[in-house]
Amino acid sequence: MLTEYSVLIIGYIFGFYMAWNIGANDVANSMASAVGAKAITIRQAVFIAAILNILGATLIGSHVTNTIRKGIVSTEVMSDPQLALIGALSALLAAALWVSFATWKSLPVSTTHSIVGSMIGFGIMAGGMKVINWMKLFAVVMSWIISPIFSLIIGYVIFKLIVRLILSQEKAILAAWRLSPVFIGSACFVVVLSFLFKTPLGQQLAIGTPMAILIAIGASVALGIAGRWGIRKLLDEKGDTVELIFRRIQIGTSCYVALAQGANDVANAIGPLAVIYFIVKTGSVGSTVPVPIFLLLFGGAGIACGIWMAGSRVMTTLGTKITTLTNTRGFSVDFAAATTVLLASKLGLPVSTTHAAVGGVLGVGLARGLEAVNFRIVFQIMIYWILTVPAAALTSMLLFWVLRAIY
Amino acid sequence: MRLPFFSMFLTSPFEGIQEHAEKIKECAWSFQQAIECYISIRCTRFEELRQEVCRMEREADGIKRRIRGHLPIGTLMPVSKFQLFRYLREQDGVLDALEDALDWISYRAEAGVPPEVEKDFLLLVDAVIDPIEELNKMVCEARKYFRTYNEDQRTVVKDIIRNLRQQEHDADKLEDAIKRNIFHKCTDAVTVFHTVRLAEIIGSIADHAENAGDMMRAMLAK
Repeated sequence: MLTEYSVLIIGYIFGFYMAWNIGANDVANSMASAVGAKAITIRQAVFIAAILNILGATLIGSHVTNTIRKGIVSTEVMSDPQLALIGALSALLAAALWVSFATWKSLPVSTTHSIVGSMIGFGIMAGGMKVINWMKLFAVVMSWIISPIFSLIIGYVIFKLIVRLILSQEKAILAAWRLSPVFIGSACFVVVLSFLFKTPLGQQLAIGTPMAILIAIGASVALGIAGRWGIRKLLDEKGDTVELIFRRIQIGTSCYVALAQGANDVANAIGPLAVIYFIVKTGSVGSTVPVPIFLLLFGGAGIACGIWMAGSRVMTTLGTKITTLTNTRGFSVDFAAATTVLLASKLGLPVSTTHAAVGGVLGVGLARGLEAVNFRIVFQIMIYWILTVPAAALTSMLLFWVLRAIY
Repeated sequence: MRLPFFSMFLTSPFEGIQEHAEKIKECAWSFQQAIECYISIRCTRFEELRQEVCRMEREADGIKRRIRGHLPIGTLMPVSKFQLFRYLREQDGVLDALEDALDWISYRAEAGVPPEVEKDFLLLVDAVIDPIEELNKMVCEARKYFRTYNEDQRTVVKDIIRNLRQQEHDADKLEDAIKRNIFHKCTDAVTVFHTVRLAEIIGSIADHAENAGDMMRAMLAK
C-alpha cells in the first residue's frame, strides 16, 4: 500500500512531467510566427517564452483551481478522497503520457483537451457514464470545428485588409504609418480583453464586460498613438519598412501569447497536483481547491524546462521551414488566433491556441498571402485533435484500474 | 522533424522556378559560347559545350519535376496551380529550344555556317540571350510582387514582360533576315535547309521566353 506522502511525491514527478510536456508541445504556439517571420531569433524566442511562461504561471495563474478541469465530470466522483487521489494521479499521468507521445511524434495537440480527456476516463471508471457532463463534452467537440473556421475567416480578412489598405498603396510605408495606430490599437484591444477575460488574474479582478471594453478601448487608443509615435523613426530606414512596422507589433502579440499560455496552461499540470496536495494535507476535497503559489512556480518552472529543452529543436525546424511567413502574415495569424481564443472562451468553448493558429495560417493562405501552404494537412491535424480526448481517456482508465488494483 | 503544423508550409514552388530560371541563364552562356565556337572554324570545343548544355538541361528537368511533384492537392498559392504549370512549361521550352539548336548543329557540325549569314547568326544569338536574362529578372521581381502586392512592383514586372515582347519581335526580324539572305545567297539545298531550320530553332527560344512572359502576365492579373 502506498502512503499518502509517496503519492504526493509521485504527484510532483508526474506534475512536473506534464508541465515539461506542455512547454515542449506548446512553445511553437506563442513564438512560431514571430520566429518564422524573423522578428526574433530562436534563442531569444526560447528565452522570452520560458521567462514569460514562468511569470504568467506564477503571477497570473489561478490561485484557485477547479478540481475537474472545465467541469467536464460531475464533482461527486471526488467525494471519496482515496478514489480522488488515485483519479488525480492517473489523470495527470495519462494526460502527460499522451502529450509526451504527441511531442515525440511532433503533433500539435491541445494540452487542455488531454487533461479533459483523462478526467473523463477517470470519471467513467469512478462514477460511470452518468457523471459525464455531455454538454461540456459537446462544447469540446464543437471547438474542433469552430476555432479553426473562425480563425481562418479572421486571418483571411485581416490579411486582405493589410493588402488593400497598406501593401498595394502607392506609398505603402506612409499608409502603414498612417494606419499603424489602428492595427496596434486593435491588437492591443484583443490583448487587453483577453487578459481581463481569459487569464485567472483578470477573472479575479472581476471587471464587468462594459467596463472591460472601456478599459481595452482606452488602452488601445493610448498604445496606438504611442506606437505611431514610436515607429516614426522606422520611416527613414531602408528595406521593407512595412514589414519592420509589423515586426514590432508582432513581438508584442507573441509575448502576450506566451504570458497567457503560462497563466492558463499551468493549471493543466498543477490542477490535479493541487488536488493531491490538498487531499494529503486535509483529507478531503471540494469542487475547488486553493493552489499555493509555490505549486504555480513549480508548474511554471516545469513549462520553462520543457520550452528550454525541446523549444530550440522545434524553433529550428520552424525558422528554416516557414520562410514565407513574413511579419504582415505573421501578424494576421497571431491576431486571428488571439481573437478566436478570446471570443471562443467568452462563449465558453475550451479552444486551444494551436487549433486557432492553424486556422489563421490557412486564412492567410486563402487570401493568397503564402507561397505554398497545404490545406489538406488540416484534416490530418484534426484527426489528432479528435484522437486526443479518447486516447487520454482510455489511458487514464487503464491507469486508474491499475492503481486501484495496487491499492 | 515532421510536424503537421510545419508541413502545412510546403517548399515554395517559386523557389524552384527561380532556380530553374537561373539554370537557363547558365545554359544560355554555354549556348552562346557553343554557337560562337561553331561559327569560328578554329574552335574544337563545340561538342564539349553541347554536352555541358545537355547536362544542365537534365538538371533543370530535375528541378521542374521536383516543383510538379511537390504540390499536392489542396495547396494554396498566390496563383493557380494550372497557371504555374503552364508558366513552367514555357520556361522549360526555352531550355529545350537551346538544347535542340545545339543538337541540330551537331548533326552537321563540320560544315559550319555559310559566311554570308555568319554575322546575322551572331546577332540572332545575342538577341535571344537578352530575353533569357530578362526572364530571370522577371521571376525575381514577380516573387517580390507576390510578397508585397505593391502596385509599383507590379508595374516593374509588367515592364519586363513588355520588354520580353519587344525582344521577341527583334529576334523575329533577325530570323527573317537570315532566312531571306540564305535563300538569296546560297544554292546548296542541304545548307539552306540546315541553316533555315537552325534559325527557326534559335528564334523559338525568344518565342518561349515571350510566352513565359505572357503566362506571368496572366498570373499577375488581379
